[in-house]
Amino acid sequence: MNNSSAPLIEVRNLVVEYASRGGAMRAVNDVSFTVLPGECIGFIGPNGAGKSTTMKVLLGFMFPKSGSVKLFNREPGATEARRRLGYLPEVTLYYPFMKAKELLFLYGGLQGMTRTQLKVRIPKLLEEVGLAGRGDTLLKNFSKGMQQRVGIAQAIIADPELLILDELSSGLDPVGRHDLRDVMLELKKAGRTIFFSSHELSEVETLCDRVIMINKGRVVLESPVAELMKPLNLFEIDFEQDGQPQTRSVSGAEKFNATLAEIISSGGRVIGTRTATRSLEDYFIEIIRGHEGSGR
Amino acid sequence: MRSTLLIAWTVLIEAIRRREVYAIVVISTLLIGAVATTRFFELQGLGKFYREIALQIMTIATNLTVIIIASRQLPREFESRTIYPLLAKPVSRLSFMLGKLIGVMAAGTFCFLLFMLVFLAGCQYLKIFVSPPLFAQFLFLQILGLLVVATLSFMLSLMTNLDAAITLGSLFYLLSSIFLSALSYLYQFSDTAVKFILRVMVFSVPQMSLFDLSEKVVHQEVWPPVPAFVIGQLTAYSLAFSSLFFLVAFLLFRRRPL
Repeated sequence: MNNSSAPLIEVRNLVVEYASRGGAMRAVNDVSFTVLPGECIGFIGPNGAGKSTTMKVLLGFMFPKSGSVKLFNREPGATEARRRLGYLPEVTLYYPFMKAKELLFLYGGLQGMTRTQLKVRIPKLLEEVGLAGRGDTLLKNFSKGMQQRVGIAQAIIADPELLILDELSSGLDPVGRHDLRDVMLELKKAGRTIFFSSHELSEVETLCDRVIMINKGRVVLESPVAELMKPLNLFEIDFEQDGQPQTRSVSGAEKFNATLAEIISSGGRVIGTRTATRSLEDYFIEIIRGHEGSGR
Repeated sequence: MRSTLLIAWTVLIEAIRRREVYAIVVISTLLIGAVATTRFFELQGLGKFYREIALQIMTIATNLTVIIIASRQLPREFESRTIYPLLAKPVSRLSFMLGKLIGVMAAGTFCFLLFMLVFLAGCQYLKIFVSPPLFAQFLFLQILGLLVVATLSFMLSLMTNLDAAITLGSLFYLLSSIFLSALSYLYQFSDTAVKFILRVMVFSVPQMSLFDLSEKVVHQEVWPPVPAFVIGQLTAYSLAFSSLFFLVAFLLFRRRPL
């Protein structure tokens, strides 16, 4: 990761409002963050938190009420910026009358690729996303998961520097999610910058360098994943005492050693020990529950 | 330009692969076929009757097809969310709309060509002669008329929704000549101020009947081809209204949040 480079995404005090009958509804409220080249960022939050809206502003689909957004140091929606990015929208039903191959010819062509380049790229890409041999199938015959795979293929067709993926694994079965994780890891290894939203928090844990959590339009957590996942100073000991299986939790290494000695001296049999960690899901639930009831 | 043509190609593929265009052509062909088999008239009368009915069916069917295809382009992109991956590529909103328009026009022309094949096959079967220059002018003006209808439908689809755009577009196409006749009738009995208002109304609504030479093709024995300068004026007339409708549609779409 090259942190000294200029950010690919720069969001400063972003405010987005939707017009509604009862007045303006604030969907994003004073959000700021940056994404550096080579980073993989998980953008998480409950439904309606403002994730998709923020992404739409990044792409120039929506316009902020205030604040600034830069993509490759350009205004969102700038053609030059869009040439360098790939975008996967949330749940899209691709043209049912087109074949998968034709759709990729369309998107690749729009991205500026030549026909010759696409003839080489498309079969490889279909294989990469698990759709080998399905290029000539009409999209109307594709399942939701297959549509999502086509969506990923169109996003990465021109090997973009930056990927913005909204609800990455939406509609995918466990095998699909596994395949997708491999694709993402390959892209990450190749130095691509990935900014994605997902409700699959285990996926975020596995793939991301950093996580940004948003709730009710505000950033409520921004942290490196390694920081969140580091072991807690908390231990669990599974043991048998008088034929009964038991578990004891202790905090601190000294207490852990003392407890172990105590169990053994009292005739107990230690079965195993664990270092406790917290999952991203634990943080997510704790933070979101903590914010429940607070206004936007 | 390449992006525009790629988007146009998508619209054309849709028109070719969806069955509704063929359904309209088949139904119209059956109607034309029924006319062709009518033996009420002597040969000359049958020729006129065939030309009149066949050309009217073709004209109405093509215009309605174009209204449907044009009206659904933008609402369907929103509904299926395909607009997002499209506009996330380096494609401007103007190129996107131009591509859609070119595609709709290509689809309309495709539909028209299918009708032409049916019509000319009928002429061949009934041994009916059609004046080539007049027929070419008929085709050209029909395409100019389709351009007005397509851009109007685009505009309506951005102002309302898909169903309303189709309904309003169809009503405009089918009733505009009646509306304009009514205005002309009222004009005779109006005072100066009302006459001015009526005149403004007449000029602000495109007169689709100007693009319809079917009557001249029917009575081709007495009608020479239309002079070139009139065709030129009609081309300018069509382009003026099409540009206006397209401009309004673009202004509505240019800053629309998606």
